[in-house]
Amino acid sequence: MSVEPRIRQFLLNNYLFTDDDAALGNDDSLLQKGVVDSTGMMELIAFLEEQFAIRIADEEMVPDNLDSVNNIVAFLARKQPANDAQAGA
Amino acid sequence: MSLLARLARRVAQQPSAEALVHGAQRLSYGDLWLAIGAVSTHLRALRLPRGARIGLLLENSPCYVACYYGVHAVGGVVVPLNPAARAAELAGHLNHCSASALIVPAGHTELNALHAAAPAVQVLEAEALCSGGARVAFTEPVPEAPACIIYTSGTTGRPKGVTLSHRNLDINTRSILAYLPLSSADCLVNVLPFHYAYGNSVLHTHLIAGARLVLDRSMVYPSGVLQAMAAEHATGFSGVPSTFAMLLARADPAAHDLRSLRYLTQAGGGMSTDLAQRVRQAFPAAKLFIMYGQTEASARLAYLPPEQLDDKAGAVGIAVPGVELKIHDEHGREVAPGVSGEIWARGENIMLGYWNDPDATRQVLAHGWLKTGDLAHRDHDGYIYIDGRRSEMIKCGAHRISPQEVEEVIAQLDGVDDVACTGIPDELLGEVVKAVIVQRAGGSLSAKAVQRHCRERLPPYKVPRAVAFVEALPRTASGKVQRYLLRDSDHTKGERDVSKGTEYASR
Repeated sequence: MSVEPRIRQFLLNNYLFTDDDAALGNDDSLLQKGVVDSTGMMELIAFLEEQFAIRIADEEMVPDNLDSVNNIVAFLARKQPANDAQAGA
Repeated sequence: MSLLARLARRVAQQPSAEALVHGAQRLSYGDLWLAIGAVSTHLRALRLPRGARIGLLLENSPCYVACYYGVHAVGGVVVPLNPAARAAELAGHLNHCSASALIVPAGHTELNALHAAAPAVQVLEAEALCSGGARVAFTEPVPEAPACIIYTSGTTGRPKGVTLSHRNLDINTRSILAYLPLSSADCLVNVLPFHYAYGNSVLHTHLIAGARLVLDRSMVYPSGVLQAMAAEHATGFSGVPSTFAMLLARADPAAHDLRSLRYLTQAGGGMSTDLAQRVRQAFPAAKLFIMYGQTEASARLAYLPPEQLDDKAGAVGIAVPGVELKIHDEHGREVAPGVSGEIWARGENIMLGYWNDPDATRQVLAHGWLKTGDLAHRDHDGYIYIDGRRSEMIKCGAHRISPQEVEEVIAQLDGVDDVACTGIPDELLGEVVKAVIVQRAGGSLSAKAVQRHCRERLPPYKVPRAVAFVEALPRTASGKVQRYLLRDSDHTKGERDVSKGTEYASR
């Protein structure tokens, strides 16, 4: 599975508890929409670090990197340009 | 004197000093006063009766602050509500206090459902109320009149609205300022929601003292909070234990210039001595104030003077000025040092009662004393140590969750025969909700289906992080659920599907 559907599946399963793909748009703000709260963000970070074998620095925890599916996908692409999308899968 | 009158005095003293910072928005005390004037002018035009209850459903923002004081300026009672709550819970609270109006941001997602569930409540858009600017004209309220109703438990069956008077709020604000002196030179980066008692008291103490409040949305981006503290030369920061745990786990205080930081406050549940120690090491220049209180006491009941942190590690300290604390046994007799009993509190900060609920009020208020439900002992110097809580409330981060409220929602699900909820320990949040469910014969409910059902009806923090299915709930001979046993693995035997917060597949 490529990066985007894996992120979506994680968010839908663990924060919205649904399989309904329409429940979350790729540009939706995770914070504004109430998808993640502060603990949800900690879990999201742990998930990304483990699944994509990356280390997210404290200062990288900013909305530009993490506040939507698209932001996360772009952030991961920047974090692991050499790796292929299946890293850590 | 009311908080509004004290704020008026502050505005006259320092109109151009900054009061609130929110993103790019910076309001001086003069600006804030004009915004309060705008809100009160709009509200006055509605000709609401004095004492009208007005719901406030807003995230922390300058508009929240203007509306809070604007409601007081027209003699209204503020009912701060949780912006993450869903329509059913909100309507339960608004109907319970017969609210006349509700202030919401334009386009709030729950508006239609709210209108259906609470048709008598007039909906007012916050942006329109705060627009413009006007002189504040107000009559000083009667000190004993209700100023604020804070709902502490969301049970749809029986909401408990802690009713605080103008005097309660004023007295407690001044008690806090007596042990935590603040001035117009102070600046606090605030992540605590204003709609809870702790955030409410942080708001009032800082504004009355003429300090600057920087409103940060939450702890979602911990490093951003430290950045804001450095950029604004913050002198203070307040949190619940999980706020500090997150800050230390996901941000590095040493990487920021926090030399101006001089005080930290902690309340909202016991902080482990280990975490307190780590906080002190991470912020060596700041004094840490460990505090204890209850919404029923406006906010604050006790504090530990920072210089006693080592000698009295683990204590919540001594009574705040103007408050008496006693520890009683079940017969109402004061116990000796070292003996555990219930904390009783007396002072002018103790609530008027629970709104429209004399029975619930009588259970906790007697002869001027508040029975806190918290178990504690004193040492020989009179310092208080919390031993436990009689209350069944689940303490999750800054939130208090009534197990009944989650149970009621789960009980609506088809296939649920019986359900009970309890708090289970969580490293970061203190506690999270665990639901234990007895399925009807042949039922095929999954943990995820239960969580989804809850997520659609409850704010995220109330959704059970663990769901267990059992054959029967542990009950006493009289049929009462023994919640403390729900945590035990013995009673979750036969689980078909258990999901824990640490497992990604099933949050």
